Amino acid sequence: MVIACSKYDLYLSTLHFLLQEDKKILFYYPPKTDFDTQMKNVGLSEAIVKFTDTFNADQLCEALHTQKTRQLYHQAERGFWMVMVIMNKCVRKSYCSIILLVDAFVETVTIPFVAKVKDGTEYLEYQSDDVQDNVYLAVLKQSYQMFRLFKGSFNAILNSKGGDIVHLKQKLDHFFSRYLLTLKLNHSDILDVFQGIQFLPLDKQTFLRVQCFVNLIEAMFAQVKYTAFLYNDQLVWSGLEPEDMQVVYRYLVTSLLPAHLETELQGGSMPRHPTSPFSSTHYGRFVTGPANLQDTSGHIGKVPKVYINNDLAPELYHLVVYRSLSATVCMFIEGTLHLTIDLFKRLDIFLGPQLTKLVSEVAEQCSRQATSSSTNSVDPSPKFVYFNKLNLAQKSTVHLDSRRTGNVAVTPEVLRLLADINADKARMSTTGETILKTMSDYWVVGKLSNLREFYVVIHQKNANLIEINGKYIYTSD
Amino acid sequence: MASEGLCQDRNNTDNNEEADVVPDFEPGASLESMLVTTDSFEELEQEMDSSFDERQMKESTTSTISEIQEELNDTTIPEDSSSDQDDKLMENDEVACKNFAEVASQLSETSLTSNEDGNTAATPVGSLPEEEYWQNPEWKERKKHVFILSAAGKPIYSRYGSEDKLVTIFGVMQALVSFVQTNQDTIRSINAGNTKFVFLLKGPIILVSVSRTTESASQLVLQLTYVYNQVVSVLTSSQLTRIYEQRRNYDLRRLLAGAERLIDHLLNFMEREPAFLLGAVKCLPLTPSVRDSITQTIVQTCGKIKNLVFAILLAKNQLITLVRMKKYFIHPADLHLIFNLVNSSESFKAAESWTPICLPKFDSSGFLHGHVSYLSDDCQACLLLLTVDRDVFFTLSEAKQKIVEKLRRGNCLEAINESVNRASYTASQVGVPEMRHFLYKCKSTAQFWSPALEPPYHISEESERLLGLYQALHHRLHAASRPLKLLHQQLDKETMLGWVSACITLSKMAKPNRSYATTTGKASYMESVRGVYWLKGLGYC
Repeated sequence: MVIACSKYDLYLSTLHFLLQEDKKILFYYPPKTDFDTQMKNVGLSEAIVKFTDTFNADQLCEALHTQKTRQLYHQAERGFWMVMVIMNKCVRKSYCSIILLVDAFVETVTIPFVAKVKDGTEYLEYQSDDVQDNVYLAVLKQSYQMFRLFKGSFNAILNSKGGDIVHLKQKLDHFFSRYLLTLKLNHSDILDVFQGIQFLPLDKQTFLRVQCFVNLIEAMFAQVKYTAFLYNDQLVWSGLEPEDMQVVYRYLVTSLLPAHLETELQGGSMPRHPTSPFSSTHYGRFVTGPANLQDTSGHIGKVPKVYINNDLAPELYHLVVYRSLSATVCMFIEGTLHLTIDLFKRLDIFLGPQLTKLVSEVAEQCSRQATSSSTNSVDPSPKFVYFNKLNLAQKSTVHLDSRRTGNVAVTPEVLRLLADINADKARMSTTGETILKTMSDYWVVGKLSNLREFYVVIHQKNANLIEINGKYIYTSD
Repeated sequence: MASEGLCQDRNNTDNNEEADVVPDFEPGASLESMLVTTDSFEELEQEMDSSFDERQMKESTTSTISEIQEELNDTTIPEDSSSDQDDKLMENDEVACKNFAEVASQLSETSLTSNEDGNTAATPVGSLPEEEYWQNPEWKERKKHVFILSAAGKPIYSRYGSEDKLVTIFGVMQALVSFVQTNQDTIRSINAGNTKFVFLLKGPIILVSVSRTTESASQLVLQLTYVYNQVVSVLTSSQLTRIYEQRRNYDLRRLLAGAERLIDHLLNFMEREPAFLLGAVKCLPLTPSVRDSITQTIVQTCGKIKNLVFAILLAKNQLITLVRMKKYFIHPADLHLIFNLVNSSESFKAAESWTPICLPKFDSSGFLHGHVSYLSDDCQACLLLLTVDRDVFFTLSEAKQKIVEKLRRGNCLEAINESVNRASYTASQVGVPEMRHFLYKCKSTAQFWSPALEPPYHISEESERLLGLYQALHHRLHAASRPLKLLHQQLDKETMLGWVSACITLSKMAKPNRSYATTTGKASYMESVRGVYWLKGLGYC
């Protein structure tokens, strides 16, 4: 099975996990691979890790480049290695530089395309530069973080069953067999490196109202330990540690909420609880939890359990998500509690009217901001990406939405250049600046200052360095 | 010649590109070129793409040297290199197949042994001769290791330490290479933090570099290619292939005895010189009339000598002049090897020598014969006369004497001496305030120029750092898939500007926090000095 959407795109060749000491394969994708091949590929990964280790005890192996693949290595936990193998894009080139895209190598993933040179004038070129180490290493790390969010750390799972790896294998299989289908390798870019959060800027008063509302929830319902509040795809308030929120946010924005919206859309007009006495007063409903509160069976639907604070002392919570119009409230309820339909009913009665009222205020605020800044989005103004490492805030006008489906305002080449500049960051200390001009006359500016990163893309053919420098200073103000 | 054909193609496409760019002047450009002009990064794509190699092999079935010899009605018939190469291809396949089983076991063995080390620190399975270097922290912390081994895993060369004490490491490297090969793939590099492991597979030998420098993987591949070329320059590729065809387990060190010195020197040379990065050579500053008269002197003296392919005069790692057979070009990479040879051999200073030398880009399958000598005791310029004829030492020796006499009469020796001894231009003399240093490459002639290193770059640590900065800049500027027109970087200690126009590659470096205005548009200066710094005239023999 091939994950990528089109034949000549990048695709995931294999993903495997191994436990270093025992040399055991914990997970292998694609699952139908015969055992010998699995052993061989895992053996290679292990040899690479060992080999680099002999020279470099303190720094871990990150990437292996071969002509046809890019393999990324991540030691998720001590002794646990995750290896992701990506096939490079492959184009057939001839010397008069006509580029044809190859329509081969789809059938089986593990056997890469074998070059056939016809009449000696064509050769296959693997475009390995399109797979950027920093981007795809981040993708690999994310997949671990996501696993840990839902299943807990590898070690914790192992220890809970007295070191029995069968249990861990099952969990890995259960999680990754579905997670891998959602990987969008072809649309991975610099935002995956940041893995930031988009915040919604609000005026003081509205912000305080949101915070007040959140405090009220936590006061009324002692079971709710943490709460997060989102408006559309933007975070307004979160009680979680930023590192945890980062992962939860990504889950919400790229997976849970889009899926929810889709079911809502398929359900026709705005769904309400058909028999709910409150239907006329609010639009609230549970995204995770009972679909119908009047259901007499008392079925509470699917509520995911999440592990947070994994680095210190993992805590388990039920993640209950409630949504009304564009506002989303995420409540982290202690995992040891048994959720009852009664609790959901009480939550609904409390949240529904309050949230519906609050969301209209926030919406009003946002529309006011939108009109004041809409002038910006009309003219072909510079596009930018901003990331602040301190609070993980991220903002991008390069990306036209936050769904990560490749809806971007610049060419893929320019997008990759942003990640290139980011990769060069290591050579700068706390501040630094890069300005470059591409062959297609895009100007790209990257600035690093006090843990903040700022990238600007300007398409202006006849500009010179001085003008660009002036323009970007203007933009950054 | 294979590479020549290629270069022509490239040049054509280059020209097409230039057509739609504003016609820019190119300081130092010349109508006639004598060096093959390719950019190092273009070269690299070839080196890295194995399918390219196959193609090249097909084209290079005729040897340049034999071509020259035939033309001159020489009777020696060269070996049939085409059948050679077919054999070689087959051999490779065979090796791969044979290795398959071997490798799998080797891999598991090596991981086994290292496991045991971790646990017990006992001597691993398989008796090892004494302690191996890879357990020695000092050895591990070297900045750049370079290893050469045969496809069968036999050690050939290690930059640091004796190969015999590195058997395990060589074994693992060979295993990795052939393991990846079983998947019809080629291993290229591994990144681990600040360390890069780069692999280059060249026919029967494998080259590996383990580097903690800022150089990119492709730049390290380029360096390994130079190392390979250095080996070829001593052995020729056909000999190399033949050896391994006959005995897969041959210990090449026997043949390379003495050449290690050249490789060591080459590696150090590459860590100091931007020439390798740019794929260009630097010329000794001389007024055009002096350079002309030197060239004419050589042409007049050597014009009648049959079989003389190249006459090269150089001093202090800079080219003074180059005279060549009309049809043949010399590649900068070959010139670099010649520079390296001259540099690392003190014996040339003592007496004139007669040495076989293979120029891999010119013709990797055979030797040229070189008459190498310094002009005189009072002029430390080195003259190389390269020929395909192995019996003309005395003719060339005589010619050299005549050249020296004529040059002396024309006061050219003095001029050379003066230029060699004169302190080089500094960046501050250029008149761009705050510019500390720059590199300028004239693409069409494959020549470059850079001013002398001034403080703070006068100490070797800083100058190496400077080269590292240039390498990083060059890497981004000429990235194969995302080439740039201009790159400006503000770093901690300096501001760098790299600029490629239709025909110019300019990399500058300045103090931090300087205004942008001064960084641009100073190429006009280069035009004013071109007469002195560029080798334009041509000599044919």
